[in-house]
Amino acid sequence: MTDSSRAGIFSRVRQASAGADSAEIAAQLRSLGRAPAAALPCADLYTSFLINVLKNHGTADLASNRSEAVTATSKYIYQHYNTHRLVAGNDPRLAAMPWREAGVLPRFGALEPGEPVSLSYARLAVAELGAVVTFTGKANPAANNLLAENHIVMVDCMDLVVDMEAAWERIRQITDQEQRPRGVNFIAGPSSTADIEGKQIYGAHGPRQWHVILLGDVPATALQEARSIAAP
Amino acid sequence: MEQHSDTFLENASKALGNKAQADIRDLLGLFTPLLRNAAVDNFEHFEALRHHVKRVRQHSLDNLDHYLATYEQQALKNGNRVHFANSGDDLNSIVLDICQQHNAQRIAKGKSMITEETGLNDFLQRANLDVMETDLGEYIIQQAGETPSHIVGPALHKSADEVRQLFLQKHDLGERELDNTEDIVGEARQILREHFLKAQVGIIGANALVAEDGYSMLVTNEGNGDLCANLPPVLIICTSVERILPRAEDATAMLRLLVRSATGQSQTCYTSFYSGPRREQDVDGPLETHIVLLDNRRTEILASDYREMLQCIRCGACLNHCPIYNSVGGHAYGSVYMGPMGSVLTPLLSSLEESNALPNACTSCGRCAEVCPAEIPLPDLLRDLRHQETVEKITAPRWRIGLKLHTWLARNPRLYHWLTGVGIHLLHLAGRKRGSFRKLPLAGGWTSQRDFPTPQGKTFMQQYRAQRKQS
Ligand code: SF4
Repeated sequence: MTDSSRAGIFSRVRQASAGADSAEIAAQLRSLGRAPAAALPCADLYTSFLINVLKNHGTADLASNRSEAVTATSKYIYQHYNTHRLVAGNDPRLAAMPWREAGVLPRFGALEPGEPVSLSYARLAVAELGAVVTFTGKANPAANNLLAENHIVMVDCMDLVVDMEAAWERIRQITDQEQRPRGVNFIAGPSSTADIEGKQIYGAHGPRQWHVILLGDVPATALQEARSIAAP
Repeated sequence: MEQHSDTFLENASKALGNKAQADIRDLLGLFTPLLRNAAVDNFEHFEALRHHVKRVRQHSLDNLDHYLATYEQQALKNGNRVHFANSGDDLNSIVLDICQQHNAQRIAKGKSMITEETGLNDFLQRANLDVMETDLGEYIIQQAGETPSHIVGPALHKSADEVRQLFLQKHDLGERELDNTEDIVGEARQILREHFLKAQVGIIGANALVAEDGYSMLVTNEGNGDLCANLPPVLIICTSVERILPRAEDATAMLRLLVRSATGQSQTCYTSFYSGPRREQDVDGPLETHIVLLDNRRTEILASDYREMLQCIRCGACLNHCPIYNSVGGHAYGSVYMGPMGSVLTPLLSSLEESNALPNACTSCGRCAEVCPAEIPLPDLLRDLRHQETVEKITAPRWRIGLKLHTWLARNPRLYHWLTGVGIHLLHLAGRKRGSFRKLPLAGGWTSQRDFPTPQGKTFMQQYRAQRKQS
């Protein structure tokens, strides 16, 4: 059935198409230019990203190096779950973290039912959306993004880009070197639903809380400013 | 879903009689446009974005042969199996075949308009498969045995209390009362989590397909689509041929329009691009992925004057802004597609005979075209369908005679003005004492809901001329 359907569909589509060749089509597409993106909420890229993370009902923290990132993670999970355990994907960047310094006990692999906290190391972040971008795969199993109660995501400030067009440019640079990722996930907040009377509820299926740690040389004032701007 | 657009007028009358439901619709009709407008106003270059995406979509449709072939090639390269379905029945059979090949019993389904269109759930359930909708809104209506009332918020016609009652009836809750919306959502989360973990097949739709890399994009706030796509060992993506866009950035540009127009958000929680099955070192993800591309008359629409309708991004803004949709609600349309977009699409996907009332469910107010992010001239397309109805003699004879008479009169303005003048004068004489009419011949529908005020005696043109003479 699918073969004859395929032939029929292709033939009807061909009849209704312009019949241009690939080079013409590529030139036409290029001539359409670039889509306008949403304006950032302020002039600074870091602050803009943090504002949007907070507006997306996320929480955020800064860490200037890996030790600080580990300490920030440790404090956060202890405060929320009274534990030092978490699950992280087999990401070499996460494996190289000085976990013992802060007493964190990571388990590397996919989250199992009953484990509340997962940690991902995002490949990119997008200021326009206040989103982190993870690639599904060994370094970041899908379950870790989706099944935890609380999803913590670290991202390097060098990997923060302004908008989605810039994100795709970076993803293309990555896929020139690596295999095309199985999944590219833009995550912008905890799981939510407004399906009952339009009321926004968090933790519909996936994480109820979403915490972003921005790593690198980011002035502490960026987070303070973001909090003051994003505060309702 | 089973279509019953042929009874639109009866469905609409029934809906108008349900006061509680009408109140919910009034409220939604007020606040959904406000959310959309605020989000659009916040985006500085919304018009430029709208225009850009329209041109990209037009370009994609103009060159669909090229992009469809490229998409197929890339999707295959990513390790997917690609199927083509001429009709809804074909799609249903392909999906059932895949499920049966894997001896699958439990199916977890994400929100998908295409599978609503083909009636996949019923089809699979008739083959004794346990199909569970996992989008909260879809889950609620599935439990209630209803159909969606809105393309974005399928259960928005239900109050929180109705959902609570439904869960009390259907779920084993023990002592739990589900006193608030958080508890209701928590209950669904628990039930559906179990289903996700045990499902053997996940079925989702796609908001866009990307030709350059064979990815499919899915946008959700709940994350249920991602769970369907990643937890079960087999994934089936059911979508249609016109969803193809050239590049990934075209899909995310469209997303900017979609989220603002649909829910007034500036982004959704999860925007995911799937390439194919799990890789050797992956610890989770589907072992097998299938993409089923549905035509169901879309290639006919592509070759017709209604081609622009294929640019619809299913945002629901035209529904939220439509006075008819807000009065009668989504169920009255008797189709998976409703409101202005449904009134165009349903006749094109089924037949004009079956759904001839839908193109007439329009006041020509133009709000839908104003807000449509895909710049689809919906009122024009509806008018063209009405014209086609008249040409094909589908319109009821009395309407056709009436229209003919009106056309003839409009071409004879003197006679027209004289006749309307006489009519207004007679109405004035007849109703002057009471001030209004309870009943009027040929206007029974109008007077069934309210009285008709007695005209003051002169037509607009008569008054206009008199005033001009005076000045
Ligand atoms: S017709 Fe336009 S407004 Fe209506 S759902 Fe489609 S894209 Fe949205």
